[in-house]
Amino acid sequence: MLSKTPNALLHGALDALILKTLARGPNHGYAIARFIEETTDEAVLVEEGSLYPALYRLERRGWVDAEWGTSELGRRAKLYRLTDAGRQQLAAETATWRRFSAGVSKVLFSR
Amino acid sequence: MKRSLRSWLWRVPIDQEVDEELALHVEMRTRELIARGVDPAAARELALSRLGDIAHLKRTMTDIGRKRDREMRVTVWLDELRDDIKFSLRQLRRSPAFMVVATLTLALGIGANSAIFALVDATLLRPLPYGDPDRLVAIWEHSATVARGYVSPLNMMDWQSRGRSFEMIAGFTPAVGGMVMAGKDGNAETVSRQWVSAGIFDVLGVRPIAGRTFTRDDDVRRANVIVMSEPFWRTRFNSDPGVIGRELRLDGSLWTVVGVLPGNFELLGETSIWAMRPITNLPPRARGAYVLQAVGRLKAGVSIEAAAADLDAVGGVLAREFPQTNKGRGILLQPLHDSLVGRDLRRTSLLFLGVVGFVLLICCANVANLLLARATVRRRELAVRSALGAGRRRIIRQLLTESLVLSLIGGALGAGVGAAILNVAPSIIPHGLLPATVALTFDARVVAFSASAAVLVGVIFGLTPAWKATDFSSADVLVTEGRSIAGSGGKLRALLVVAEVATAVLLLFGAGLLLRTLVAVETFDRGYRAESVLSMLVDPLGSKYPTPESLQQFYDQVEAEVSAVPGVAGVGWADSLPLDFFDAGGISYEIVGDPPVQESQRPTSEYQVVSPSYFPTLDLPILAGRAFDTRDTRGGLEVCIINEAFARSFQGRSPIGKQVALRPTSSPQAKPVIREIVGVARQVKGRPDEVKDFVQVYVPMAQDLADDMFLVVRPKAGRAEALTGSVRAAISRVDTEQLVSVRNVMTLEDIAWAATGRHRFRAVMVISFAALALVLAMVGLVGILAYSVQQHVRDIGVRRALGATTGDVLRLIIANAARVVGAGVAIGLALSAVGGRLIQTMLFGVRPLDLLTCAAVTLLLAIIAALSILGPAWRAARIDPAIALRNS
Repeated sequence: MLSKTPNALLHGALDALILKTLARGPNHGYAIARFIEETTDEAVLVEEGSLYPALYRLERRGWVDAEWGTSELGRRAKLYRLTDAGRQQLAAETATWRRFSAGVSKVLFSR
Repeated sequence: MKRSLRSWLWRVPIDQEVDEELALHVEMRTRELIARGVDPAAARELALSRLGDIAHLKRTMTDIGRKRDREMRVTVWLDELRDDIKFSLRQLRRSPAFMVVATLTLALGIGANSAIFALVDATLLRPLPYGDPDRLVAIWEHSATVARGYVSPLNMMDWQSRGRSFEMIAGFTPAVGGMVMAGKDGNAETVSRQWVSAGIFDVLGVRPIAGRTFTRDDDVRRANVIVMSEPFWRTRFNSDPGVIGRELRLDGSLWTVVGVLPGNFELLGETSIWAMRPITNLPPRARGAYVLQAVGRLKAGVSIEAAAADLDAVGGVLAREFPQTNKGRGILLQPLHDSLVGRDLRRTSLLFLGVVGFVLLICCANVANLLLARATVRRRELAVRSALGAGRRRIIRQLLTESLVLSLIGGALGAGVGAAILNVAPSIIPHGLLPATVALTFDARVVAFSASAAVLVGVIFGLTPAWKATDFSSADVLVTEGRSIAGSGGKLRALLVVAEVATAVLLLFGAGLLLRTLVAVETFDRGYRAESVLSMLVDPLGSKYPTPESLQQFYDQVEAEVSAVPGVAGVGWADSLPLDFFDAGGISYEIVGDPPVQESQRPTSEYQVVSPSYFPTLDLPILAGRAFDTRDTRGGLEVCIINEAFARSFQGRSPIGKQVALRPTSSPQAKPVIREIVGVARQVKGRPDEVKDFVQVYVPMAQDLADDMFLVVRPKAGRAEALTGSVRAAISRVDTEQLVSVRNVMTLEDIAWAATGRHRFRAVMVISFAALALVLAMVGLVGILAYSVQQHVRDIGVRRALGATTGDVLRLIIANAARVVGAGVAIGLALSAVGGRLIQTMLFGVRPLDLLTCAAVTLLLAIIAALSILGPAWRAARIDPAIALRNS
């Protein structure tokens, strides 16, 4: 079923998850991955290979912003931060997802 | 802004960025796995494998990262540009006087240029509105006496059938004539008509919008067929498609309408209908009738040179076959575009382009000067910015943005000025200067030209000041407070003004030459002495006066009736008017008794049919022999009067009593008319700027009556046009049934005015531009003087304090101005020596290096410059040493 989901939707979902994570505050890539794993009870396995390209895409589109900061290990780390445009995008993605899941639920749980 | 900060302050190469980020990820994941109890040896492997194909991942990230950085650079650039523009506008708003002077200067320069560009574009650049216009060629015949003449239909057909270079050749008669169209109600009207051969529309690639054009079949059948213009179809037939195939009665015969041509189509001259003149099966004597303007369409890939060689070969064969007509005749090919536009118009366009180009340069120099002055004032500001870390490139970019903003505002205003000029242009451009196929329009091309001119100008006049203004070590400027830096900037500004003055002198000199030419062509001796003469074409539309006798009677009655009008001093008739001969060389002549001359070598003459009263009416003196009188009747001894140029072909012998054999040039083998010369009339000008006296023969009206004649009326006193009403009333008293068409009412002065139109147009245009250049140059001069006075207030104050008189101060200022103006005039006159020669072909009655003009220009410049420096000199003279020293 999942494999048949349109690519755009998957991309959209991953983007939305990243944006949502960053809404809590700036963070680096690994922390974002960990946070998504933990909060979804590892249910949605974020493909680690697609996380970073997604972050770069979001940065290119101006939804997130990056700065060099310091990681917990004391090493230089690229810290991502939600921009105003990103916040708006997150709201839009959330609304879309809500409509989508409501529609799907209506069909799946109808009698 | 945040993003740009990151990218500028934390610049990390993209590869390193990706490597570090992934390394950190792997490192932290490994630690996490170990903490969860994974074997440390395997943990790192596992962490890596979870990322998948690392190389591929890195490539993807680097790729996106590169694109991101590129876009960011553009964004930053745009941000800076926006900031620069905002800053520029703020700066300009802060000095409104500077902004107004600079933008208006640019608007004038760019506006004049865009209007002239429209002219050049229309005449020289844009292709003709015909299909595949590059392959169209005008074909002429030339002989010993005619350098560029029309062609005979039989020759044209042979070129077509024997030559191999042309897809098709066709022709038309250049002059537009009239046909009388009979209406249903019995009323007649004259319709303008141009004769064409059947193939002309196919050669030009014109498609009819209704019906068809002429075919070869029409030609072979010698059908009476016409096509009409869209405006005529619309206004006269309400765009009724039913008119196609209908027969119209024209000049008494029936003609079938076969098609309608698109509205913008024109050959040479405006016409309502095109009537087909058959060219197949013409009699052999038509070989000598040179009546057609031929146009050929080259086969694809054939050059005009190859076609010329091809036709030359054909012409050589024809000359052997028909030596009588074709010996000594050659064929001339010319791109149709060149032929339509003409050398004169081409030169005029280029002249204007050169002139406005110089005007624009002066504008640039002025604005550059203003900017230099401003830059000097702003050095402190710039030095501060430089000290705060702005690079020189960044500051230059900012200053360039400022000048570009300025020039774009000027360019936008200039486009408006150009549109306004083009709006009034049609009313000042003399009729006939622009061929009908050339249209002046303010279109996207002109706008594009204005825009590129603005950008170019902005860069040119902005770069030097920007470079100069940023050429400092900041410490220096900050210390000296920007006071003592007049030095090199001042020299550059003075040089700019010298260049402006030189350019203005050049333009004034050209204007002076053209003005003297205009005076020469307007004050030439017209030959006749009447001051003011009214003329009108009287056309008794055919059928009412079927015989020459009745027609002559009609003309005589009109003459008698008009003579009786109060205030009329003289009335005469002529079939053409002085300065209005459109077709030079109407007849060829031979002196009877002299050895015969070969047909193609016969001299030609203008042929004018006049009434006996014509000479006294125009007060045109008969120098020898007699004028026409009542002896010269129809059927009587055939006589003529020749002009002075004609008389010279008798080489000193008296022409009176000699006989000449006259033939129309269009049918050289016709039986000649033998006429006895009874008088010699004073030379009348054929064109105001003719270089060779024009040969003319007068024939009495009774012996060669034309269908329509010009009536000429001289008033006893006052202006001739005041008689128009009473003369027309007199004509309608004779023509009681109102069947006579009276048109082309004008005075001979109008005709002379029109004949000198192109000289006047050139003179007026160049004088206007030269005046503009002079004003701009003086603005520049006043600018540097005022500025240098301002810069030297302390200096002058010290001199005054040390005892210098007002005279000393004035001498200083005047010497300053005289150096600049003197250098400018000297350089300008040197350039004029070259410039005058370039426009030599447009001059008449004045030499290209005219000393009077030189002197006048120098004097004019001296006076204007003296007036211009009054202001700055006054200010300098009033400097109070005490105040000047205190303020510094």
